[in-house]
Amino acid sequence: MRFRFCGDLDCPDWVLAEISILSKLTSVKMKLLCVQVVKDLLGQSIDYDKVHKLTADAKYEAGDVKASIAALSFILCSAAKYQVDGDSLSNELQQLGLPKEHSSSLCKTYADNLGNLQAQFMRQSLKLSQLESAEWRVDYILSSSELQDVQEPMVQLRLRVRNPDTGNVVPHSFTMTADKFRLFLSELKQAHQVMEGLAL
Amino acid sequence: MLLVLADEHKEHLGFLNEVEVEVVKEFCRIAMEFIRSGPNPKLYQSAAQKLGVASETVQHGVEGLMFLLTESARYMISEIDFQDSIMTLGFSDDLRSVLLQLYLSNRGEIRTVLSEMSMDLPHYHNLEWRLEVTVAGRTLRHQVTPRLMMKLHTQDSGEKDVQVLQTDPVNLLHLTQVLEGALSEMKSTHCRRIVRNIK
Repeated sequence: MRFRFCGDLDCPDWVLAEISILSKLTSVKMKLLCVQVVKDLLGQSIDYDKVHKLTADAKYEAGDVKASIAALSFILCSAAKYQVDGDSLSNELQQLGLPKEHSSSLCKTYADNLGNLQAQFMRQSLKLSQLESAEWRVDYILSSSELQDVQEPMVQLRLRVRNPDTGNVVPHSFTMTADKFRLFLSELKQAHQVMEGLAL
Repeated sequence: MLLVLADEHKEHLGFLNEVEVEVVKEFCRIAMEFIRSGPNPKLYQSAAQKLGVASETVQHGVEGLMFLLTESARYMISEIDFQDSIMTLGFSDDLRSVLLQLYLSNRGEIRTVLSEMSMDLPHYHNLEWRLEVTVAGRTLRHQVTPRLMMKLHTQDSGEKDVQVLQTDPVNLLHLTQVLEGALSEMKSTHCRRIVRNIK
C-alpha cells in the first residue's frame, strides 16, 4: 500500500504496530501528546513528566512511551517533509487503523504547526559552512624592507565563517592589492547577477 | 562453569558475612548503582560510620560484590553454578539466596552495560543529503549539472566525525544498487544456514 505521507512508499512495519498502541489513548490525551512531540521537533525540549502523566492512564510501559513518541514524530516529520495536507493525512491514518477522533486531533495539531515545522526543517537542511560576517580595512603601504617607496593601497578582508556542526565561528583573513580586489569584486558581481536572475 | 574467586576477593566478600542481611541488601543496591553510574565515595563514608568499620572495608565489600556480579553476568553462569561458586565463601543460607536473587534480577541489565563497553569502530550516526543543480560557475555559464551533496556523521566511542561527500545521479544509482545487493545477500541460502545455526 502506498501512502503519500511516507513519500509514496509502504508504511514502515513498526509504525503500523504503534498505531494500535496509540489508539489506547483518549483523543484529548493524544492531542496533548502531539503538542509535546511538535515542541520536540521544533527544537524545544520535551516535558517528559507531562508525557508520563498523559500515558499513565493507558498504562504504558517505558518501552511503549518511547515507541509512541517515535511513531508520532515519524508521522508528523514525514507528513511535513512530503507536504501532505491535513485531510489526506487524516484519511491515510484512518486507513492504517487509527480511530477517527485520534486522526482528526492529530491532523488538527499538524495543520496548525505545518508552517513552523517546515520552516524549522528548512533551517535544519544540509548546510556547509556559512558566512557570519565580513569586515574590511584599507591600508596604504608607504615603504617596506624590500623597497623604500611602495605607495600602494591594500585591502584586508576578514570573513567570519560558522561551522554548522560544531557552531564554532572561525575567522579567515587575507589581504589583496587593488587590482586583485577589482577582479574579486567583478567576479562576485557576476555571480550576484546570476543569482538575481534565478531569484523568484 | 564455576567461578574461581581469588583469595583477596574472598577476603573482601568475607566482610559481608559479618553484617546483617538488611545491610547486605543495601550493599547490593549500592553495587548496582556503581555498575550503572560509577563509584560514590561519600556513600562509603556514611555507611562505614553507621556500621563502625573502616570506610576501606565498606569499599572493598561493595567492589567485591560488584566484581562477583559482573563476572557472573559476563560468563552467563546458571543459578546452580552461581550458588556453587559462592558456597566456598561460607555465607549463610539467607545471604546466598539474597545474592542469587540480585544476580538473577539484574543479569540482563549488567550484560547491556558490559556490551556497551566493548571495542567500538566508527559507526553510522546520521546521513544528511541535499539535491542541487549547478547553474553557473566562474568559468562556465548556462550549465545544468545535478549533484547530490551528502554529509555522513559517524560516531566512534563518543567522538563524532563528519564527512562531506558529493555524487552525481549515475553514481548514486550504482551506490544504491550495490548496497541493496549487500542487503539481499542476507536472504541467500548460505547466510540463512549460518543464521539458523547461530540461533
